[in-house]
Amino acid sequence: MAAARLAVLCRKVSAAVQTSRSFMSPQVPAGTRFSLILSPKSIPSVTSLHQCRILHTTLSRKGLEEFFDDPKNWGEEKVKSGAAWTCQQLRNKSNEDLHKLWYVLLKERNMLLTLEQEAKRQILPMPSPERLEKVIESMDALDKVVQEREDALRLLQTGQEKPRPGAWRKDIFGRIIWHKFKQWPIPWYLNKRYNRKRFFAMPYVEHFDRLKREKHARIQIRKRNLEKKKAKLLQEKFPHLSEAQKSSLVQDV
Amino acid sequence: MGACGAFWAPGGHASPPHRYPLYQLGNPQLRVFRTNFFIQLVRPGTAQPEDTVQFRIPMEMTRVDLRNYLERIYSVPVAAVRTRVQHGSNRKRDHRNVRVKKPDCKVAYVQLAHGQTFTFPDLFPEKPSPKDGSTEDDLQAVMEEQRQRQRQDPRRGGVPQWFGL
Repeated sequence: MAAARLAVLCRKVSAAVQTSRSFMSPQVPAGTRFSLILSPKSIPSVTSLHQCRILHTTLSRKGLEEFFDDPKNWGEEKVKSGAAWTCQQLRNKSNEDLHKLWYVLLKERNMLLTLEQEAKRQILPMPSPERLEKVIESMDALDKVVQEREDALRLLQTGQEKPRPGAWRKDIFGRIIWHKFKQWPIPWYLNKRYNRKRFFAMPYVEHFDRLKREKHARIQIRKRNLEKKKAKLLQEKFPHLSEAQKSSLVQDV
Repeated sequence: MGACGAFWAPGGHASPPHRYPLYQLGNPQLRVFRTNFFIQLVRPGTAQPEDTVQFRIPMEMTRVDLRNYLERIYSVPVAAVRTRVQHGSNRKRDHRNVRVKKPDCKVAYVQLAHGQTFTFPDLFPEKPSPKDGSTEDDLQAVMEEQRQRQRQDPRRGGVPQWFGL
């Protein structure tokens, strides 16, 4: 509930755009502002109220209103919005800030999806559809940043590179694949379905494996030959632009 | 999640996980910290009771999930949730006579608690455009600009340019 109320408050201040940075500015320490809202039973101190002067604290009571835009924007052709959040901006935010921002963006996305569907229903153009793309981009960036932090933490704590365990194994076709492990409540030797999988290749597969390798080798050779041919052609056409000439010029100078 | 029905929507490309962690008796309750579920409120096609709200939700979401979602994120009191899966048509064929599938989606009917009612608002009201006068002025300005550009050399005395000299 507290998180929902905070998320509503965040949305009231600014919806999923760069302007929301002003709310999470580093000038005011995060603890004082959020303590006002996270524990609604606690009496807010005078200092935190003073710092929250800039915020306006009217919370919308009816939750379903948040599925729709500000009523002033209904029927408009364009609605102004800022740029999407970039990865670098998000990396400067704390985990609590990112968690709250995720829900702000989620509500904005739901609102825009609702608007899009209603526009299709009424056969009218959706005002400013680029807002949805910006929100999706911001959410993907946020997810990427959180994954980066989780990866770093996991590497430091356990040394595991990947979140899901796996192994390099040869499948029935003779290919070497990364087999991802699944979670089972029973050990592998009691698992009928797992034991039907074969992580080995029979001898008659060697012929096809060889054909595959030959094809791959031919492709690589063709690519290399093409690059050499192109370099030779350029050398003939533009001898004065060759790198050997350049390096010699540099040495002379 | 993507919109079901007519068009593929850009809003639903990130999908929820295919597998949640395994649960065994005595395990702690699974907590999801950043939901990947996106829902849309839709206008009902057929008349619904006043306390019923219609949503389009991702296929992987359950009615329990939706109840928790609405209660915790939107603080909407929910009395009952009923869901059904809307089949997306596979009948249309493209220029190669290959069938084109429209995505399926799940529709949820949520009944609000405490006697609350909800009517889907009109999101595209006709606004009286105060810019009629200004558009006419703009048009006139543009016309005048064009006339000025197309004016010939006054020394020709109105003789068209396709005459030699």
